[in-house]
Amino acid sequence: MKHRLTITVNGESHEIFAESRRTLLEVLREDLHLLGTREICGEGECGACTVLLDGVPVNSCLVLAVDVNGRQVETIEGLAPEGRLHPIQQEFIAKGAIQCGYCTSGMIMTAKAFLASHPSPDEEQIRGAIEGNFCRCTGYARIVEAIRSSAQRLSGAQEDA
Amino acid sequence: MPDFRYVGRSVPKVDGRLKATGSARYTSDLSFPTMLWADLLRSPHPHARILNIDTSRAQKLPGVKAVITGQDTPMSFGVSKQDQTPLARHKVRHVGDAVAAVAAVDMDTVREALSRIKVDYQELPAVFEPRRALAPGAPQIHQDAPDNVAGRCRYQNGSVEQAFAEADYVCQHTFHTQRMAHLCPEPHNCLAVWEDQDRLTLYLSSQMPSLASNMLAQAFGLPSSKVRVVTNHVGGGFGSKTLSRFPMDYVAPILAKRTGRPVKMGHSRAEEFIYSSFQPAYEINVKTGVKRDGTITGRHFQVISDCGGYASYVPAVTSVDGALQGVLYRYQNYLYEGTAVYTNLPYGGALRSVGSTQIHFAGEAQLNMIAAELGLDPVELRIHNATRTGDKTAVGAVVHSCGLAECLEKVAHEIGWKEKKADPRPNRGLGVGCGVHFTGIRYPGSPDADFAGAAIRFNDDGSVNLATSCVDIGPGTSTVLSQIAAEVLGVDLECIHVVYGDTENCPMGFGTRASRNTAIGGKAVMNAALEAKEHLLKAAAQKMNTDPRELEAGWGRVYLRSRPEEGHDIAEIVRFHRYRSNGQAIMTSCHWDAPSHGNTSFAFSFGAKAVELEVDPGTGRVKVLEVVAANDLGKAINPLGAVGQIEGGVYMGLGAALGEAILLDEQGRMQNANFLDYRAPTALDVPPIKSILVESNDPVGPFGAKGVGEMAMIGTPDAVAGAVFDACGQWITDLPITAEKLLSALRDR
Ligand code: FES
Ligand code: FES
Repeated sequence: MKHRLTITVNGESHEIFAESRRTLLEVLREDLHLLGTREICGEGECGACTVLLDGVPVNSCLVLAVDVNGRQVETIEGLAPEGRLHPIQQEFIAKGAIQCGYCTSGMIMTAKAFLASHPSPDEEQIRGAIEGNFCRCTGYARIVEAIRSSAQRLSGAQEDA
Repeated sequence: MPDFRYVGRSVPKVDGRLKATGSARYTSDLSFPTMLWADLLRSPHPHARILNIDTSRAQKLPGVKAVITGQDTPMSFGVSKQDQTPLARHKVRHVGDAVAAVAAVDMDTVREALSRIKVDYQELPAVFEPRRALAPGAPQIHQDAPDNVAGRCRYQNGSVEQAFAEADYVCQHTFHTQRMAHLCPEPHNCLAVWEDQDRLTLYLSSQMPSLASNMLAQAFGLPSSKVRVVTNHVGGGFGSKTLSRFPMDYVAPILAKRTGRPVKMGHSRAEEFIYSSFQPAYEINVKTGVKRDGTITGRHFQVISDCGGYASYVPAVTSVDGALQGVLYRYQNYLYEGTAVYTNLPYGGALRSVGSTQIHFAGEAQLNMIAAELGLDPVELRIHNATRTGDKTAVGAVVHSCGLAECLEKVAHEIGWKEKKADPRPNRGLGVGCGVHFTGIRYPGSPDADFAGAAIRFNDDGSVNLATSCVDIGPGTSTVLSQIAAEVLGVDLECIHVVYGDTENCPMGFGTRASRNTAIGGKAVMNAALEAKEHLLKAAAQKMNTDPRELEAGWGRVYLRSRPEEGHDIAEIVRFHRYRSNGQAIMTSCHWDAPSHGNTSFAFSFGAKAVELEVDPGTGRVKVLEVVAANDLGKAINPLGAVGQIEGGVYMGLGAALGEAILLDEQGRMQNANFLDYRAPTALDVPPIKSILVESNDPVGPFGAKGVGEMAMIGTPDAVAGAVFDACGQWITDLPITAEKLLSALRDR
């Protein structure tokens, strides 16, 4: 049976018909063609599919689409409105935190949520925050570095404001 | 050293923006109108005859468009031997061997149809250990291999017997290394589309589209120009996405042809762990003779590698490892004997260093034992024996650039080796390992060539299209090649647009393997760019009525050397040259075959690792505190990218050292095919990694560059094992060094 759902993604409201067993990840990729959110494990163990659900990071491969009815989703595609990169995206590029890029969307979304609650994290906290995000390429060091410098930039921006 | 605008500078990735915004497209993202989905039916038995396959119930299911079996896949393929068919024909040789395939309108229908296929098997005795497979009376897995040997190799120089007779100390040890998964974030997947009946496009997550296309063309009996392979962005490879070595590479095109529709298929995550040609298990026996002062007199390696049910890459990589071990140290008495053996397990392949990390583990761990036994410092022992620039090594290779001793000195200095050794702390240990890896490779038995191609085209707006035979699977190949092109051509980096991964639009080359992109791919780019620049200056000279030698290109302009303010934008020159009677385009290409120097590779990168760690004697748990890694990469074209390679390599090396292992049950079924149970290191497990770039300036490599990606991993497990001994007095000779293993060793002592 298909359910009629209203989901707001990156500020835009969508009406979708989805069967009960379909995941948010499937709906994002297959129905809304938002291919920036990726699947690596499909079972909640790698963080590649991380999106923000009402501001909270979730593994979208574990969330059923029906449970997202009426809620707000933010994906990697929402981070750079009109092509202006978010500071976290800029830092990931500048610090060399991206290699193959397959884990990157999930890493950046995780970092965004983490930095919102931890404006000046130490290294151990950053590593803890991305512990659930798998990356096979980088050894994590540049990613940790990018999140650290993002934190500095974001809190600097807040102080300026 | 001249001052470069791009070469040697830490340039952010040219595709960073695409990847940071989620806009980069991978093969897994593709879908086509009318596309079908497909999957394989896999054998539940490790060794069995196929008596009958009944597909009738599957055929009848609505939505099913094609069902095929081994009868429909007449071709064979392979690397070291042509011993594989896309779908098994008469018998299956490992659990998971593919026996049938279905194409249908969606994956649910595919799965349902697969469950309706009935296969009658007659089970055969199976064998799961190479030693048993070699023993007389063992079940025979392939008809043409009565002793289950898939390949043997041998390197010999001097006399090891004499070396052992001359030595003051001789020792012999056996080491074991585990099966390790590549764990590509993007699993193997492909999408096949036929244009007419005789023109195939295979979208394939691949490191080597040109050779993949050649293999497919051969298998399908098509001219190679009729098989186009396209990669898009690639979500990791690590040696697994090479050639066309997987059933899906053939099955998807066959199903697409049958149905007249595009067909997409790929590994599930669980399949990716075990069916993407993991690093095979090795048994490595090493015998070494040493003089009292630490001079190695000779070494004898005997390696048994476990191919699994098909040979794939394993005989080739077992052989290549022999070439490499002979390059590390100066001793000349050398014997390496490799035997690649069939067993009834899923087949292996090459993982980031083609088994060299594993052979190094044995050789280097033993060197640490020797140092301990003779009371020598393990760093000094290595420096004393280290190969140097200009050496002719035991395997005949002349080494034209070598920073091995410098790497060892630097890691020791950086980790505080002397100070810490002088003041040991309980349960803490220091360890060192070093190694060598090739830049490019001529595999024994394949054509005597190791080339890359590059094509450069100036556009009307002054920008440049750079087509390469290399594929950027993540390490930043397109960035490094852009840097080289921009440097030579004198254009801004942003003006270079790299095109890769399309056999129809890119030059032919061996693609991404053997740490060759920067050096071999880069040399082709450099040569093409030098020629393009010559054309550009000639064109500008005509326009400016001067001699080309008076001109230089830089910052997007061509200008007079004597009066740099006088000149033209490159765009102007390009248009001037094109839009006139008898005009010309500025386009060049280069096919660069790396010189072999009589050996497998034109250059070798060297490196060393030092590790400090802590052992918890109560639990056997190892906590790595710091890794210092030095890589002799010739010249760092992009230090930021090189450091990323080193960190990633050390990370995989730590996985190999401390926990990652494919665990199989008694039938060869994988027991831990998920992230939770496989336990690759997480961000919390990885210690600080300090990278040191040693630049030995290779005389042939572009700007002096050699490879880095694989050498980055080598040496890590050996250094860890040495540090574990230093911390608690236990040698662990089989990887990985798990807490359970170490604890039981500590209890037994
Ligand atoms: S794909 Fe969702 S957590 Fe791995
Ligand atoms: S960059 Fe490749 S998985 Fe993280």
